[in-house]
Amino acid sequence: MFFYPKVRVEDFETAAMPHFPDLYRTARLLAQDSTEAEDLVQEVYLEAWKSFHRFQTGTNCRAWLFKIFFHRLHHFRRRWAKAARVQALENSEDQDSLIAETPVPQEIRDEDVLQALGKVAIEFREVVLLADVQEFSYKEIAETMKLPLGTVMSRLSRGRKLLRQELAGVAHSFGITPAKDSPRAGESA
Amino acid sequence: MNVLNFNSEQCARIRRQLDAYLSNELLVETTSDVLRHLESCEACSRELEARTRVRDALRRAAASQIPPEELRQSIQRQLRKRQPGFSGGSRRLIWVVALAMLALFGGIATEQWIRVLRGRRMVAGVLALGVSDHIQCAIKGHNYPDIANPPEQLRQKLGPQYAGLLDVVRQKLPGFEILEAHICSVKGSPRKYVHFITRGRGTILSVILTKREGEQLPNKKGVVSGNSGSVSLYEAHLEGMNAAGFESKEYFGFVVSDLSPETTVQIASELAPPLKAALDAASASEARLDLDAVPFSRAARAQP
Repeated sequence: MFFYPKVRVEDFETAAMPHFPDLYRTARLLAQDSTEAEDLVQEVYLEAWKSFHRFQTGTNCRAWLFKIFFHRLHHFRRRWAKAARVQALENSEDQDSLIAETPVPQEIRDEDVLQALGKVAIEFREVVLLADVQEFSYKEIAETMKLPLGTVMSRLSRGRKLLRQELAGVAHSFGITPAKDSPRAGESA
Repeated sequence: MNVLNFNSEQCARIRRQLDAYLSNELLVETTSDVLRHLESCEACSRELEARTRVRDALRRAAASQIPPEELRQSIQRQLRKRQPGFSGGSRRLIWVVALAMLALFGGIATEQWIRVLRGRRMVAGVLALGVSDHIQCAIKGHNYPDIANPPEQLRQKLGPQYAGLLDVVRQKLPGFEILEAHICSVKGSPRKYVHFITRGRGTILSVILTKREGEQLPNKKGVVSGNSGSVSLYEAHLEGMNAAGFESKEYFGFVVSDLSPETTVQIASELAPPLKAALDAASASEARLDLDAVPFSRAARAQP
């Protein structure tokens, strides 16, 4: 390169490859199968390498990679999900606070969670994964996904509830009984 | 799904904040409110515990996804095959280069244009010497007779240093009659001029020589009007007159008239080479031309 400072692949690997497991897990939990997930992660890394000269050393490489991740994911998602479904679910948000929290099984197996998660619409799933697994702040999620902060909050709340519902359904089908922790009216002080 | 009717509005409010509490996104004051409520409300505590359990289960399940080592290696292999910034960067690079070229050529063209303007201004400044002498001495001062002075008288006026130039002017200026030749000056300036006043083609034409005093004519493309032999010619239109000029080692030579610019330059192109040769030869000889050594006639002084 003539106008850009010389960047070495070793520098890129040092900065970016430690986040490979996070990106892969997120991709695997969003994509329909492992092949799609691997394609996505690969594209993210090649895209990041191409624009690594624009990355400012010392800034948050993980957030930068996730930004690229969700940019690439946008293309993948066209094959995966239907936006109309999300809209309908988001519109039901107002009534959601009146619905009791679903009982959570006492014993939660990994496969149950993965199966339940797969049933949650991707728009909610990706926010839940960024907040609860990758531990990004609301602001970081909003910036990464280019969403308004309010949308991030409502999708996270809705996504968690949907996951819990699906989890209860999956556990029940395997004969696992819910814990007796469902809230009862009037118990508060 | 059960539908609850919370008796406590406080429970409903706290539960709406539990998601933000779980994500550590609440303000400190609000966190304190939530914690105070949780200490005294078993139902909400259980709800928080349930939500935390789901989140932890999700984290464990996510961690169980082991990234394939082959994928990591495949990515690293591909990274080493490619150069960064190749597509997006190269597009930007092309723009940068294009703008730089535009700026460079634009800068060069502008600089060239400025040089030409400066050069023409310098030419006009030098040629103005001849034009002012022509106007003040020949046109306004009318320092020439209606009938040409005899050649011997003109040689005497020019002195031995410049008398030889009279023949050059006569030979190279066919169709023009030399009415007067003298050494003169313009009021307000010590500069002296060897002035040949001629008549032909229905007008008065001056051939004027003066010593250079540090000035020079710029030998640049766009400024030089033409060449005659190895002599560069310059032209300018000043004070209603057309002037053509040239330079020797020590002198400027001018042809000034109200004839067309082309005619003026054409006349100058005939006169310039032999006059320059004569002036350069004299400059090189021991008998140097010296305007100050020539008798200076008041009659020949140009009138303001």
